[in-house]
Amino acid sequence: MAILPHHKYPLRSLEHVPTCHHLCWSRARLTCSATTTTSTKPRSSPDQLIIEPRLDRLVTTPSPLVTPTRSRNTSPLLNDPNLLSTWSHRAWVATGCTTVLISLAKSMVAAANSHIWLEPMLAGYIGYILSDLGSGVYHWGIDNYGDASTPIFGSQIEAFQGHHKWPWTITRRQFANNLHALARATTFIVLPIVMLCDDPTLQGFVGVCSGCIMFSQQFHAWAHGTKSKLPPPVVALQEAGVLVSRTQHSAHHRQPYNNNYCIVSGIWNEFLDKYKVFEALEMVLFFKLGVRPRSWSEPNSNWTEETETPSPVH
Amino acid sequence: MATLTLPKHSLPSLLPSQTRRNPFSQSLSIVSKSSQSQFFGLKFSFSSNLPVPSSTPAKTSIVAKVNKGQVPPSFTLKDQDGKTVSLSKFKGKPVVVYFYPADETPGCTKQACAFRDSYEKFKKAGAEVVGISGDDTSSHKAFAKKYKLPYTLLSDEGNKVRKEWGVPSDLFGTLPGRQTYVLDKKGEVQLVYNNQFQPEKHIDETLKLLQSL
Repeated sequence: MAILPHHKYPLRSLEHVPTCHHLCWSRARLTCSATTTTSTKPRSSPDQLIIEPRLDRLVTTPSPLVTPTRSRNTSPLLNDPNLLSTWSHRAWVATGCTTVLISLAKSMVAAANSHIWLEPMLAGYIGYILSDLGSGVYHWGIDNYGDASTPIFGSQIEAFQGHHKWPWTITRRQFANNLHALARATTFIVLPIVMLCDDPTLQGFVGVCSGCIMFSQQFHAWAHGTKSKLPPPVVALQEAGVLVSRTQHSAHHRQPYNNNYCIVSGIWNEFLDKYKVFEALEMVLFFKLGVRPRSWSEPNSNWTEETETPSPVH
Repeated sequence: MATLTLPKHSLPSLLPSQTRRNPFSQSLSIVSKSSQSQFFGLKFSFSSNLPVPSSTPAKTSIVAKVNKGQVPPSFTLKDQDGKTVSLSKFKGKPVVVYFYPADETPGCTKQACAFRDSYEKFKKAGAEVVGISGDDTSSHKAFAKKYKLPYTLLSDEGNKVRKEWGVPSDLFGTLPGRQTYVLDKKGEVQLVYNNQFQPEKHIDETLKLLQSL
């Protein structure tokens, strides 16, 4: 489950139209400051996180917010090549999709042969439900722990940090570019199961679950879209709760940055946040391993959404 | 006091620079098994098969938990300024003693700030507020300063007092419990309230009890 790294942008700045109504640079992630103790729930505003880049204001001089020594801190370009799909990306997505389709096809063929339909369908439904939970746990983990140097997950951890700073770039990322890492992981994990197993129920579960996880980045990208620009069927699925809604996911990008981690259907978000499941896990990890999650700390400029980029050019 | 340093070879970069002393010693979970713990309104009871303290009770950390109507064991601990504070100091007025897991964790910060925000109400009720955790005095000092906490934070390093009072742990011994006691003027416990994940409720419950005293 990965978002491509957002850190390889060339050094240049981009002026955004600020639509964030919060004091983005001063907000604290701990819900209790010296003056307040409550309001853990962020104010809801469906499209608040959408920062639309202004095409006519691209500038080439470094912005004051750019740290020249760290390319991760530079604002991405609209037509950045890192947002485009390559043939390698497309090949991996094609392979991942084929793997998932074979799994689903095997499930259907086996179900037809054995006349057992209910179990595979139920397993598929469970796969869909659990994929949302899986996406949340993974997203929570890489949002809160490790850094760019962490083995295996380092690039994804850094990418998610970049995504928090420039959420809108996901809407400009091309389809295969956005999905290829998950497609590759799906291929490696699911293909052996597809080859070795003929059970329709297991294949139903694996096919739907892996398919939802592979496409979770697309659902995530749609959650960052605006209603007017998204295809109507996508909006309908979001509003029906089949796919993670824009409202729900926008809360993830606002203070206190410790909720709504699930990005498939978002069905688990309310339960996980209401019962503070991730907070409990963070506490257990803290007392057992001594590790503090990022969500407990004051945000720095590498984490908070970059909404204001003073530009010398107008 | 258990010092927990992460094995760098097993989880190298998952642990950037965040290792800390674990203020919650392993033996605590043994004590807490004889207590009740509330987790989102659910009460978990652990029946303990612990042996009755043997002929060398001083060597065991197993003590009875403090219940309503009892006079809890006294303590002498250091506050955030390094001054020694005894429970007997508060005799003659009600005192709220709240045990919390650790400084600078989300729930504890909410709880500490909620006590701070209602501090005037506690003063009006003539009560003192005392927070106790296993953090050291410098941690308490920084915590109190950062959140402008007007009351006493005591450093129970090694969790000796926590054990003596029998504060139950949560999540099957993985988390130090969050438990609040209200002692009346005579030093008798009038309320024992445990709730790990709704830290602000401790303030409501203790104020309600203090106003009825």
